[in-house]
Amino acid sequence: MTRIVVVDNHGQFTHLEGRALRDVGVDTDIVDNETPPEEVDADGVVLSGGPDMDRIGHSADYLDGDVPVLGICLGMQLMAKSLGGATASGDYGGYADVTVDILDDEDPLVGSLAPETRVWASHADEVVEVPEGFTRTAKSDVCGVEAMSDPDRGLFGVQWHPEVAHTERGQEVFENFVALCE
Amino acid sequence: MVDAPIFIEEATEEIREQVGDDRALIALSGGVDSSVAAALAYEAIGDRLTPVYVDTGLMRKGETAQIRETFDYMESLRVVEAQGRFLDALSGVTDPEEKRKVIGEQFIREFETVATEVEASWLVQGTIYPDRIESEGNIKSHHNVGGLPDVVDFDGIVEPVRDLYKDEVRDVARELGLDELVAERMPFPGPGLAVRIVGEVTEEKVEVARESCHVVEEELEEYEPWQAFAAVIGKATGVKGDNRVHGWVVAVRSVESRDGMTARAQELDWQTLQRIQSRITGQLPNVARVVYDVTHKPPATIEYE
Repeated sequence: MTRIVVVDNHGQFTHLEGRALRDVGVDTDIVDNETPPEEVDADGVVLSGGPDMDRIGHSADYLDGDVPVLGICLGMQLMAKSLGGATASGDYGGYADVTVDILDDEDPLVGSLAPETRVWASHADEVVEVPEGFTRTAKSDVCGVEAMSDPDRGLFGVQWHPEVAHTERGQEVFENFVALCE
Repeated sequence: MVDAPIFIEEATEEIREQVGDDRALIALSGGVDSSVAAALAYEAIGDRLTPVYVDTGLMRKGETAQIRETFDYMESLRVVEAQGRFLDALSGVTDPEEKRKVIGEQFIREFETVATEVEASWLVQGTIYPDRIESEGNIKSHHNVGGLPDVVDFDGIVEPVRDLYKDEVRDVARELGLDELVAERMPFPGPGLAVRIVGEVTEEKVEVARESCHVVEEELEEYEPWQAFAAVIGKATGVKGDNRVHGWVVAVRSVESRDGMTARAQELDWQTLQRIQSRITGQLPNVARVVYDVTHKPPATIEYE
């Protein structure tokens, strides 16, 4: 059975990420972000959201592994920051209902949602520069980088929260990610 | 989703194992979480469970009577009348976190009395998963978490629904055959109407909150909200029958949600909103205006405090 762990960055919705994976039908576990990657056996890793870039533990170390990684919210921001991109405080916080435009309908993570999808968001900061090798795959009126992908390295990020009930096709994002891990 | 029949079997077995031949206590709030926890524990250990319902005076209209009726089958049920003591304890308290703390402590005092009397060595709680998240994330403290165990020397705490979400708890409630009203009932916070009053809790404001909540629940039933209520948020000027009124501002909130983790403010029609406004300002002379809260969660929370 495919096994995907959620690395907990103290996000409010971390447990919902576990629930979403459980609902897709994979084996899942939530691990503390102080756990080093070598102690974790998984076919894929989700880096959860969270309140604070200073409390991400060993999250960034998971980016060097050989399994796909999905960064959600702060999880995507830490991915951008660690790999040479940049984040900043947005002009306009993204909360609740946001309509996201999918920019690459071939993208294995979010392409199936094209042309647009309604999501639930909760963030003040955002990625302003994607790292080398990444493509910006989605944007919205309130946030320039709603999603980014580097399929060659198996690294993916979304700024919104696919795990919450109000995101319309959130489950699909997890299904797409699970397919990448199988 | 949780498999309710299997869950019930495992949960009652777990309670039986934990509690053994001892006695246990549970605080009933009237909400679905503690009702389900109580029903599971009662199924597991029968009258060795003492369900305690404290009437804090911060309950919804008719709630205490309904509790007596729903849990009539549990012979060990205790109803503690503590309205006056809670109001006294809340006098002068305005900070939201302090309010929760005061209520939590008063709860502890009320339970302590019963716990000592029945010699209970286990505490059963209806804590569900989001309660733990909100407490761990310091968003709001939850009165189910912590508190009581520090004062009473329990052997341990039993939390049979700790890993479930609200929608899953409801599934279990239906499976347990708990009366429809409890199973489908809107979530109601532990600290009760106190968190639907911004600022100090007074008898007058509690009455406004209680009557307004009742109107909102009645009028919005057909919208099937996850949660619908009214809160007293401040004072403003109005004019009633040629007289100036400096009265309460009542905010109406109605949201849809799956699990309470995120919520969408419901789109209500104008006539419905006007009927709510008219009933509240018409029945309560000290209410000057009624507003509708359009904020989703996030950025707002569902309750006001």
